[in-house]
Amino acid sequence: MLSNFDFSVIPVSLPFIWEGLLYSFKLTITAMCGGIILGTLLALARLSGGPVLSRFAAAYVDTLRSIPLLMVILWFFFLIPLVTGKPMGAENSALITFTLFEAAFYSEIMRAGIQSIPKGQVNAGYAVGMTYWQTMGNVVLPQAFRNMLPVLLTQTIILFQDTSLVYAIGAKDLLKAAENTGKNYNRPVEMYVFSALIYFIICFSLSMLVKRLQKRIAIIR
Amino acid sequence: MIDIKNVSKWYGNFKVLTDCTTNVAKGEVVVVCGPSGSGKSTLIKCVNALEPIQQGQIIVDGTTVSDPKTNLPKLRARVGMVFQHFELFPHMSITQNLAIGQIKVLGRSKDEAIERGIKLLDRVGLKAHANKFPGELSGGQQQRVAIARALSMDPICMLFDEPTSALDPEMINEVLDVMVELAQEGMTMMVVTHEMGFARKVAHRVVFMDAGQIVEDAKKDDFFGKPRSERAQQFLSKILSH
Amino acid sequence: MNYQWNWSFFLDTAMSSDETYLDWLISGLGWTVAIAISAWIIALVLGSIIGTLRTAPNKLLATLANAWVETFRNVPILVQLFLWFFVFPELLPRELSLWVKQDMPAKEFFTATIALGLFTSARVAEQVRAGIQSLPRGQRNAGLALGFTQAQTYRFVVLPMAFRIIIPPLTSEFMNAFKNSAVAFAIGVMDLTFVSRQIVEESGHVIESLLAATLLYFLCAFLANRIMVFIERRVRVPGFIIAK
Ligand SMILES: Nc1ncnc2c1ncn2[C@@H]1O[C@H](COP(=O)(O)OP(=O)(O)OP(=O)(O)O)[C@@H](O)[C@H]1O
Ligand SMILES: [Mg+2]
Repeated sequence: MLSNFDFSVIPVSLPFIWEGLLYSFKLTITAMCGGIILGTLLALARLSGGPVLSRFAAAYVDTLRSIPLLMVILWFFFLIPLVTGKPMGAENSALITFTLFEAAFYSEIMRAGIQSIPKGQVNAGYAVGMTYWQTMGNVVLPQAFRNMLPVLLTQTIILFQDTSLVYAIGAKDLLKAAENTGKNYNRPVEMYVFSALIYFIICFSLSMLVKRLQKRIAIIR
Repeated sequence: MIDIKNVSKWYGNFKVLTDCTTNVAKGEVVVVCGPSGSGKSTLIKCVNALEPIQQGQIIVDGTTVSDPKTNLPKLRARVGMVFQHFELFPHMSITQNLAIGQIKVLGRSKDEAIERGIKLLDRVGLKAHANKFPGELSGGQQQRVAIARALSMDPICMLFDEPTSALDPEMINEVLDVMVELAQEGMTMMVVTHEMGFARKVAHRVVFMDAGQIVEDAKKDDFFGKPRSERAQQFLSKILSH
Repeated sequence: MNYQWNWSFFLDTAMSSDETYLDWLISGLGWTVAIAISAWIIALVLGSIIGTLRTAPNKLLATLANAWVETFRNVPILVQLFLWFFVFPELLPRELSLWVKQDMPAKEFFTATIALGLFTSARVAEQVRAGIQSLPRGQRNAGLALGFTQAQTYRFVVLPMAFRIIIPPLTSEFMNAFKNSAVAFAIGVMDLTFVSRQIVEESGHVIESLLAATLLYFLCAFLANRIMVFIERRVRVPGFIIAK
């Protein structure tokens, strides 16, 4: 029962937890930035690329969206050494995996965002003499991005939660740090609770932020 | 039949209804009109307690609506209501729409409910559409079904909230015809509408609202002859000029 | 890269048992399907109740329902799984705790099912709430005006339409249940993910093993999608176009 709990392990664990958390953040931010850039390119390819390019983009996105992230993590973890001939390390492997995986999800969001911009906007861009890329970069994407900001952030919250899955290949993220400290100090139960609390506080605050953002964007429109 | 006494209502800090008093006697037809946002819908929704009131009293057929002890479902079952946007249940066929209230609220048998439903459907001229779904009917047809649905509960009075304002002009008359017939049969009716032709034809009294207040409550002929308030005059001249 | 393809190794007997790798794969698929479907049933029942309560007039119930959703939505599924597996038994009375830890049959399976079921219930609840709130307010009034009680209005008017409207998002949640069930390997359920890792390690045939598991996951997601599309067709309302 609760009386058996000993939370004095928590102050001791803080340096390790902090290190794990930093890696979780690094993974989240890398995958978010890389994923949004790659995802936007995929969305553009799907919407206005030639038949080959748009088919490739669609296949890429649909495939990654229908298999578990854990399987993708395993694929990259085992495949990269096969291709490059030398092991890469769980942490770096995860950075690549998450970027490529999340791109599929961000791509669908950006595609919806781009499609929500009226066709007249594109025509107006062309009408003042802009090229395709200028129209996209100056007219369409900024609006799409702004409209989709809450959804992009929500996806990022999910991404942050999903970083815990690097557990499968032993990368040292927040969860792994909590587990290791728990084992070393023989207090696994307390450390699991503590890590859950950290995840909750971060994700809950972020989701409150998204709610406020949604209201503000709804008013501006 | 419907007694509205000194009713006031707030949405938060915003006062929608201010000290409204009027009544509808048995067999009487009262038309409520007034500019947009004046509180007509709010007032009529208070009559069957779809909206709570904070002050005053509404009594329907001897039952005090705002009394917390009142069995609201039972009261509402006896008061028919027709909405601006029809509000048929889209996932039920027309027959089911007509039968569901009779079965679940009045406890009628399925056969009895369907028989009565079909009879009313015939009355509004839509018997051929019994097995369709609401989405497959035109607006005017849907609204006639909605009237039939309200009638299927054998109501003691009927409330109409702008029943024709969501309709295309050519469909308005088919709905008004049903309502006129109903009025001539002696149904007690409280009708929010801007159809002054309807008011001229069958109303006994006209209530004019502005900014949450009942500004004028007069016999039909007095209202159309010489409205006392300036606001009602302006409103009438605007509405009748086109 | 020159990779030695070999598909026939699936018929070999695994080193650490007397079953073939194919047997492993099939039983892994079985566990994955069992967890995903039982969790989905839990999620659907709880999610519907909680999503409905979130729109209820009763403030206290709505707040509790909201708290439920926020709790299960804001902690990673893997962490929730560990909480149920390692922490929850510690909170039980001594006898029960011992039984759970030592004697409970199929403990890993039940833990994974409950964890995934509750996690998914929060997401289902979110969809149910959105579906209910997307209906025009007049529908509820029309139900009440006919003399229905609040409960009857939900039962006959609000919920039948709300559920039809949210079938597309529920479809992806159902598919997510299969994908998310992959975390179960972490507490030792021998699901598809677990056995694919095991086969890679024992046989060394990386690509074939992962490909087989991936294709099976694909198949699950595809079938889940077909089932939901079938239901969607069956309950479609004539003349009513669901806005996509
Ligand atoms: N749920 C609500 N919350 C807050 N304010 C409301 C609500 N419903 C209506 N109001 C406000 O109350 C006032 C009266 O609304 P009501 O719908 O009764 O007007 P109305 O006379 O029926 O107008 P219309 O002819 O446009 O239907 C309006 O100013 C409206 O903005
Ligand atoms: Mg109105």
